[in-house]
Amino acid sequence: MKIAVCAKQIPDPANTMEYSEGTLNRPDEQVLDDTDRYGIEIALQLKEKFDAEVTIISMGPEGTQKGLQQALQMGADKAYFVDDPSLKGANSLMTANVLSQLALKSEADIVIFGTESTDGYSGTVPQQVSRFLNLDCISYVKGIEINDEVKLTRQTIEGSENVNLPEKCVISVTAGGVEPRYPNFKDIMAAKSKPVEKIDLATLQLTAEQNLEFVTIENVESSKAGEKVVDEGEAFNQIIEKLKELKAI
Amino acid sequence: MKTLIIGEVSNSTLSSGTLEILGKAKELGTEFELITIGPDDAPSIGIDSITQKYVKRNAENLQFNNIATIISEYIKDNEVKLVLSSSTYVCRDIISFISVDLLSSPVSNVIDFSISNGSVETINSINGGESIYKSKVNSEHALLLIRPKAFEPIEAEFNDNYDTLEVEDSNIPIFDIFKEEKEGPQLEDSKIVISAGRGMVDKDNLTMINELANKLNAAVGGTRAIVDAGWMPYSQQVGQTGKTVKPDIYIACGISGATQHQVGMKDSKYIIAINKDEEAPIFQIADLGIVGDTLSVIPKLNENI
Repeated sequence: MKIAVCAKQIPDPANTMEYSEGTLNRPDEQVLDDTDRYGIEIALQLKEKFDAEVTIISMGPEGTQKGLQQALQMGADKAYFVDDPSLKGANSLMTANVLSQLALKSEADIVIFGTESTDGYSGTVPQQVSRFLNLDCISYVKGIEINDEVKLTRQTIEGSENVNLPEKCVISVTAGGVEPRYPNFKDIMAAKSKPVEKIDLATLQLTAEQNLEFVTIENVESSKAGEKVVDEGEAFNQIIEKLKELKAI
Repeated sequence: MKTLIIGEVSNSTLSSGTLEILGKAKELGTEFELITIGPDDAPSIGIDSITQKYVKRNAENLQFNNIATIISEYIKDNEVKLVLSSSTYVCRDIISFISVDLLSSPVSNVIDFSISNGSVETINSINGGESIYKSKVNSEHALLLIRPKAFEPIEAEFNDNYDTLEVEDSNIPIFDIFKEEKEGPQLEDSKIVISAGRGMVDKDNLTMINELANKLNAAVGGTRAIVDAGWMPYSQQVGQTGKTVKPDIYIACGISGATQHQVGMKDSKYIIAINKDEEAPIFQIADLGIVGDTLSVIPKLNENI
């Protein structure tokens, strides 16, 4: 079994996001999107059971490769990434097009994603990749049970439902379904010698183009920021007064 | 501009998201048709003067791929230029598949859009609602995923006036379908919502939230963090990946107010926030902010209401 897992390097979410010309500014040092840790964890659990090879696939500015290293430290075997200036501000379809080509290159049977990135959150890339690859898509997976068969639990609007993992497919994983592992010192050292290969964009077969044009970013009138009260034991009275005024009680 | 709305069935009728998009389409006065997806045999979804097709899916088979193929063909055959759907689990899948068929990247999380001179301009909310991001769709087809509560719903009387289409099964059967039981006021339509975040410290402390909710006849929500921690079912999550709510009063308890959470609640009419951290971003949008320990404030509310 071969598995590809998408890992995105994103600006540290603790910092404010800044844009220029409609595109998110990306510092040299970017971190692994937490959302991707769940997909990587699922890949590693499958690897342990079925002796799979796990390839990290990624697109975006290479920078210090910190995020890629974090993905490898968890236990993935190698990484393919594409970093090309022409992809700056790429839409979700172009991104999915590139990632599906990387998945093909890794000869993956199973391709795993987080449901949506923390910095862009379009939430469409996993499904688009499955369509490019002509594979079934099992989206919003929130649980996995690995026996001889692998049972996946999907989140639905009403609750949940189960499917068995087919031989080939694309999966998107919601945060929280599994507990991502923390690498130990040995894992961190081992990751440094794992192969990380930059793939030349020109070698990939791409059909998607930019169809979304940035127009402007406008600041909304700074919303409300009303009254702020430090509680010294009696602040609850102010809430009650307000609830009365709003006729909630 | 010839428009297709992809609708969904909820409780055997059109979902609220579908009705909201219909509201916007009527307001624009654009020519549109509706394709609705659902598992029911004969839902009550027909509306006078709206041409509608119903794609009846098999709830026990993962068919969204095949449904997307039907819709892509329809778009091509009928020269549809604009496709609108609500940003739900099902429609995110469908629109994503269609976007590859039509080689047109969709726009996600749209809160408003306009049509001028034959092109579509979309508006997204970024940085937790502090800024809006406008873009223009330049491809032959424009595919929009619209956030819930973006528009006013139409009021409609329903009939059974629609054509039903069947879908082929895929190789992936679905089993163990589980429906979460819904009790008490629901998040989407409650006048008051009380939400809990990490600041509640422990799952057991949610009892005080539930007690307050009972007193105020409010629905209870939570942040992604506590839903992920298993304190509440996913159906109660408010925010980017969860529900969008616009109640008259929103009470945020121990919620720092990450952008992803704000997206789901910032349009509430009156926001009360209780948080220990004076710098918590939730205070930037709160009408009344209490800097203090939620675990001491809420019991006092419960005693005095």
